[in-house]
Amino acid sequence: MGKAINRGLRLAAVVSAGALALAACGGGSSSSEGSAAASGGGSAEGASGGTITMLTNAEQWQHVDPQRMYTGADIAFFSGYTTRTLTQYAYAAGEAGTELIADMATDTGTANEDATSWSFTLRDGVSFEDGTAITCADVKYGVSRTFAQDVITDGPTYAISYLDIAKAEDGSSVYKGPYATDGNDAAAFDAAVQCSEDGKTITFNLNRSVADFNYTVTLPAFSPVPAAKDTGESYDDAVVSSGPYKISEYTKGQKMTLVRNENWDKASDDYRPAYPDQIVVEFAQDPAAMDQRIIADAPEDQATVEYGNMQPENLATVFTANDPRFEGRTYNGYDPYVRYTAINTSLLPNVKHRQAIVAAMNNAQYIAARGGDFAGERADGIVKPNLPLDYAPSGIWDDMYGDVIPAEGNPELAKKLIEESGEPMPDLTYQFPNNPVDEKIAAAIQSSMAAAGINVTLEPIEPGQYYGIVFDPEQAKELMRSGWGPDWLNASTVIPELLGQTGGFNLSQVQDDAYEAKIQDALKILDRTEQGKAWQELNKEAMQNAWVIPHLFGKAQAFWGSKIGNGFLWDAYGSLAFGDLYVEQ
Amino acid sequence: MSTDTTVPPAAAPPPSVSGAVTGLSLRQLAWRRLKRDKAAMFAMWLLVAIFLTALLAPLITNLLGVNPYDFDLTSLDPAQGSLPAGPWGGASLDHPLGVEPLTGRDLLSRLLFGARVSLFIACTAVIMIAIIGTTIGIIAGYKGGWLDTVIGRTTDLLLAFPFILAILALSPVLTQRLQAMGLSPESSRVVYLVLVFAFFGWPYLARLIRGQVLSLREREFVEAAVANGAPTRRILFREVLPNLWAPIIVYVTISLPTLIATEAALAYLGVGIVEPTPSWGKMLADSVRYFAVVPTYLFIPGTALFIVVYAFNVFGDAVRDALDPRTGRNVR
Repeated sequence: MGKAINRGLRLAAVVSAGALALAACGGGSSSSEGSAAASGGGSAEGASGGTITMLTNAEQWQHVDPQRMYTGADIAFFSGYTTRTLTQYAYAAGEAGTELIADMATDTGTANEDATSWSFTLRDGVSFEDGTAITCADVKYGVSRTFAQDVITDGPTYAISYLDIAKAEDGSSVYKGPYATDGNDAAAFDAAVQCSEDGKTITFNLNRSVADFNYTVTLPAFSPVPAAKDTGESYDDAVVSSGPYKISEYTKGQKMTLVRNENWDKASDDYRPAYPDQIVVEFAQDPAAMDQRIIADAPEDQATVEYGNMQPENLATVFTANDPRFEGRTYNGYDPYVRYTAINTSLLPNVKHRQAIVAAMNNAQYIAARGGDFAGERADGIVKPNLPLDYAPSGIWDDMYGDVIPAEGNPELAKKLIEESGEPMPDLTYQFPNNPVDEKIAAAIQSSMAAAGINVTLEPIEPGQYYGIVFDPEQAKELMRSGWGPDWLNASTVIPELLGQTGGFNLSQVQDDAYEAKIQDALKILDRTEQGKAWQELNKEAMQNAWVIPHLFGKAQAFWGSKIGNGFLWDAYGSLAFGDLYVEQ
Repeated sequence: MSTDTTVPPAAAPPPSVSGAVTGLSLRQLAWRRLKRDKAAMFAMWLLVAIFLTALLAPLITNLLGVNPYDFDLTSLDPAQGSLPAGPWGGASLDHPLGVEPLTGRDLLSRLLFGARVSLFIACTAVIMIAIIGTTIGIIAGYKGGWLDTVIGRTTDLLLAFPFILAILALSPVLTQRLQAMGLSPESSRVVYLVLVFAFFGWPYLARLIRGQVLSLREREFVEAAVANGAPTRRILFREVLPNLWAPIIVYVTISLPTLIATEAALAYLGVGIVEPTPSWGKMLADSVRYFAVVPTYLFIPGTALFIVVYAFNVFGDAVRDALDPRTGRNVR
């Protein structure tokens, strides 16, 4: 559970950090809504050469170490340039960009019958930047680093939760990673991750059925690291590349330069087009100035992209004015996040009470407070259309609760539901991290509940302490601000996490055994389409139980210089497909 | 106060019986001087008006048919990122000063209600500062000795403290504590701000008062009272304190606007009043983010704050001149 919470923290922290801008890390649109139409089209054959410049407000990368990297846009960036994984997502706009393809492996993996064991075979010619061939042992070593939780912090911990390695009494793995010396059960790890004799095939033995483990290995946490070059914590500053580029300079607070990796063999990699000669990241840029440079589009800035989203005040300029200058230079589509308010079932056990809260919610006010049309669309569940196989309209706003609920809320229905509950509605408290946008949302929630006669007290919490408090059952109140994005493109990283009993982000404190059993069944379905149908049903059931107030399917906006080619919203990570970008010559 | 006209009230001449020359108390003399200062009188009436408006805010907003809490989405433009629709920050007959971005709440009513909160915090804190600072200053100055040393070092410590940083760091902990004691999140913030302002504000006044008391205690009327066997309490409160009103009033009038501005600064740093309650500080903090797109928003709380700070400064200055004419600009 602890690990899972940390995982939740990472993604959710991104949500909170992005509160001022519309969302921190970009997003994906699977876009039957036509939002991808606004982008520069799909992946096309580009021109080689030139330098792509990326501007960022950050002082440095959160992490460059693949096992510690977790943010979607970071993965999108490094997976395109320096970090190869067994599988990855195709470079394409729209739904095609969610397709799983083989990267370092020859195919997208082979599972045994109940998906408790997965094998991947490495291609010929894959190598590190120093020319040494990448073998199964390197991938295995990379995976082992995740277990060193005291050194390799902040990364995803799926290796720990999925691999078939015994747990110690405190719930941690008996294997403590490659740096631990005494009392470390390395044999258990060797049994869980096995290499074939020729060093080409890696087999992962899992402690449960994981039907989508081949999606899990898209995370850089499953990428190879040469044991001889591993410097533990400081590997973060000196990673060894396996992709078409290598880091030639990384000065925090100033710049990072990626240059071509001479030892990368194009024949071993039909995924990365590797168009530009060089990629330069300029750190510590003023966000407003970043936007202005791209708007002005001076010759030296024409091959420039931005990390993260635009400043809200520039959105109208770039998007609504129909300015031909920005044609084909923008995207406006789904980010990875669904924003919702968790309803604490341990304090509100009466389902009619919870339904009344959902019915009373004025999401029109919510969306306005988040920034209007650019913020996104009203959500109807916790699964969003950027998971095309797992999303289906839940029908919550139709007549699931007995009447239609418009975006402005239906206070009359809420009052009726409270009456039907047979108990008076208790006074509620809404907890939220104290930042300018969440504050306005809190006011929106308070005023929508007041319209239905529900009394809400607002409890702002210092952002750094927020998750510590709301995850403490003693301190958690009835309503809590939340947001979530999937870890890979499957609702298996959404529904079980948010509403499952072992989920790491179960703010609603759902303890429903029947529902849990259905989750476990769904996790075992190998047929991805069938599994998607199961998630659709579970999403609907969650809405019937009113465990959350769904607010918003978030959107993200970005734009780039006029000489950048292949700019589009990559649904896989909700950002640009950095590895596919080229400079028009 | 070392003017020759300074006479302790206890020894003031008896009220005039009749005749040509009327004796005036120090206070009456000061009031006369103050009344002659046109700028001061203007500032005073301005302050009275501001306080009245703040006090009667619910009545005024009711009459105007506005409300600081109601969202008005019709006044926003969703295609522009929920910015106010129309020029001048969405100013219209319904919303004379425009509306708040993202929510459409009426700015006039938020300004009036915000005045209540901001003035309440500043006034309460300044009263506490006056009481604590004066008491400690008198004790330190009159008693002297080790007590003076201890108080002196304590004030040094507090004066040297980076208090904005301390306020930011203590905020989450202390507001949680206050809530655990049963206060609502909202009142806990107000109480917290008042307490920290008082805690970090008194040393300045205590310093000032101590210095005054040091010279006062050597004066003849104090020595006379001691010789007559008056108890210490009587000496402090009847003989010494009345001579301290001038520095206290001046300090209060000057620090009050500073506190309002500090509240604004803290709101900007995220240690402010809880939604949906408005305060000037919060409005300022919020409006700064929209300065490029809705410049009028910043000018509303900014102008209000400017007027109050200006009025207090002019008034405080004039009060000082009136109480201590030798230093005043009117002398020359």
